[in-house]
Amino acid sequence: MKEATFKDKISEGIHDLFYIWKREFQTTFRDQGVLIFFILVPLMYPLIYGFIYTNEVVREVPVIVVDDTHSSLSREFIRKVDATADVEIKTYCSNMEEAKQLMKERKAYGLIYVPSNFSKDIALGRQTKVSIYCDMSGLLYYKGILLSATAVSLDMNKNIKISRAGNTTNRQDEITAHPIEYDNVALFNPQNGFAAFLIPAVLILLIQQTLLLGIGLSAGTAREHNRFKDLVPINRHYNGTLRIVMGKGLSYFMVYSIISVYVLCVVPRIFSLNQIGHPDALILFMLPYLAACIFFAMTASIAIRNRETCMLIFVFTSVPLLFISGISWPRAAIPPFWKYVSYIFPSTFGINGFVRINNMGASLNEISTEYKALWIQAGVYFLTTCWVYRWQILRSRKHVLDRYREMKAKQQLSSREITD
Amino acid sequence: MMETKQKKYTSLGQVMIRECKRLVSRPLYLFCMVIAPMFCYIFFTTLMGSGLPTDLPIGAVDLDNSSTSRSILRNLDAFEQTNIVARYESFDDARIAMQRGDIYGFFFIPEDLASKAISGRQPRISFYTNNSYLIAGSLLFKDMKMMSELAGGALSRATLYAKGATEEQAIAILQPIVIDTHPLNNPWLNYSVYLCNTLVPGILMILIFMTTVYSIGVEIKDRTAREWLRLGNNSIYISLAGKLIPQTIVFFVMSIFYNTYLYGYLHFPCNSGILPMIFASLLLVLASQACGVVMIGTFPTLRLGLSFASLWGVISFSISGFSFPVMAMHPVLQGLSNLFPLRHYFLIYVDQALNGYSMVYSWTNYMALLLFIILPFAVMQRLKRALIYYKYMP
Repeated sequence: MKEATFKDKISEGIHDLFYIWKREFQTTFRDQGVLIFFILVPLMYPLIYGFIYTNEVVREVPVIVVDDTHSSLSREFIRKVDATADVEIKTYCSNMEEAKQLMKERKAYGLIYVPSNFSKDIALGRQTKVSIYCDMSGLLYYKGILLSATAVSLDMNKNIKISRAGNTTNRQDEITAHPIEYDNVALFNPQNGFAAFLIPAVLILLIQQTLLLGIGLSAGTAREHNRFKDLVPINRHYNGTLRIVMGKGLSYFMVYSIISVYVLCVVPRIFSLNQIGHPDALILFMLPYLAACIFFAMTASIAIRNRETCMLIFVFTSVPLLFISGISWPRAAIPPFWKYVSYIFPSTFGINGFVRINNMGASLNEISTEYKALWIQAGVYFLTTCWVYRWQILRSRKHVLDRYREMKAKQQLSSREITD
Repeated sequence: MMETKQKKYTSLGQVMIRECKRLVSRPLYLFCMVIAPMFCYIFFTTLMGSGLPTDLPIGAVDLDNSSTSRSILRNLDAFEQTNIVARYESFDDARIAMQRGDIYGFFFIPEDLASKAISGRQPRISFYTNNSYLIAGSLLFKDMKMMSELAGGALSRATLYAKGATEEQAIAILQPIVIDTHPLNNPWLNYSVYLCNTLVPGILMILIFMTTVYSIGVEIKDRTAREWLRLGNNSIYISLAGKLIPQTIVFFVMSIFYNTYLYGYLHFPCNSGILPMIFASLLLVLASQACGVVMIGTFPTLRLGLSFASLWGVISFSISGFSFPVMAMHPVLQGLSNLFPLRHYFLIYVDQALNGYSMVYSWTNYMALLLFIILPFAVMQRLKRALIYYKYMP
């Protein structure tokens, strides 16, 4: 037999690659399970999450007031707190016990206590205290109550200071109030919103998780359909590692380039989230992210023996992966060990890079670390995918060979019996 | 009469033994019931081990470089949560550092701060926080706002001292009203306490959903459902009880483990004593198992049942309202949140372990969890039909 030339091999490889690509595409769109993960989940989950967090901030936290002074100053304080957006004065109680009872009944999440010497202290030129007590079941309650009370106290302090200073002009009053003025700017999330902070991370994580689930599911199915429970079928087109990995990868990549457009461009628009990224930076960034996710999922899918087990193994990991990415729990506070663990997952770099491009308008220059890391991951996981597939091809060949030998031995045995 | 009763018990025992064998036969069960929850217990508590993040990196842009500006920055650096890691030449440099992720915020001091302040021309300082990282941004906001207030105060105080005021008088003039904050039962503002108390049971819950759905659905898939029913005296109740009791025991042990770990070892606030929490965990385990039965009962296809379990499980974390309060959600979602066991568990935890209220105050939530437990009776017959007639389709 003539040795196939290098050129023949290449053309055959490319031919097979597209054959496998087509096959994978067909199985993807014929398999309801895979369709759930590749289409339905990316379509629906962002909408559910967006709906949950769409109010962005907590307004009008119910608060009880215990006012032991009943002076015009204390009433002014309470009125101003009530006027802030974050807090609503639900009711007044005559003593602390009554207030505590209401908090136990979940009628309020905070308590403002104005002591009896409040106005007297101010009139005498002494410092006075207003106490706030917060239910710590949600930190956003605490934050709302604290910020409102502080803002009101600063405002009233200013007026008290001015009235004591005995100035003659308005300008002097201003300077007395604030010898040094200050501004605060909440960059990249001006309303301090929960959705603007969490949703982008969830979107990126969703891409990785659905790929893990979808690819895991189809790997499980392939094994169940295979006679020897192998991942790679016996077929003349499934001969080389590279063509299988590239063919499958290409078909997932094409599906997910469309899904990504929906998840990363349409969804934020629906919920009017921040979107200040440069489109070309985003496209260039998504390239290695998708590649890394796909090859990561293909490598991980080797562990999946049955169709449905991927869900048991991968679904719960979404929560730890969101936390380890450093978006909700600050990266600076993550212990080194978990930081190293987080480098395994494409989502860590994906989330940080995407948030910076999309929310903070960074260019690829600023996220070069994440960008490079994703390319490295894509490369490494490509190699591991090739390696595990190579191993699988060899295994399935071995299984076939064993089976063939077995059959042949049987045949020989039976033919011998006949001749005997 | 006696005999039939006896027979029921023996068949229950046989189904339980069969289930125990099934549980040890596949590493998948070991993973979902023991390894994965255990990993998550340790993961979340060590990830947030510091409780409250300290020394978050910020930058400084000091265009004044006077003794006043330097003292402001020195004082800011001394705050527990802020750590000035870099100084930048201009606003743009600082912004780029923020986009690079080096810092979570920066403090900007304009030119002529000192001279303007002394001559009464009201200089303006500013600070910027990156609220795309909400927790870091909020914590830094607090410190930098405080510092900005103090910066103005320091100047006024110097003037007041010069006019002959005592320290006490000066303080009273500068800050006539102070806010005295009492974060009840979590005075350290410990995020680990705030999040782990619900994250950890939540993970266990999602794994219970999955395991329950899978262990029933796989019988349909592998066509062993009839054999299972036959062993259970052809009664769906006996068969189901026999299947679920061994799992209940394992999951309950896992929940006792996290309770002792959180409240006994890590000393998270537990003002009610540990018993009400263990009771609540038992109810959570049973309610989650019941949800699992309902899921596979309504969708007797393994794939759909598990998809349902994943959806319910993952949404639980958001809708139970331990990070973003339910009161701020859309009214429809406020109603829907009652359909998630984790929501009730969270409210029980807040009342009991965190605040130490009597169990009476959370009776509605205990009732809700009990209601979840009787929910499977609605799908029993449907499930039985599925077990007998349903054919697995991939």
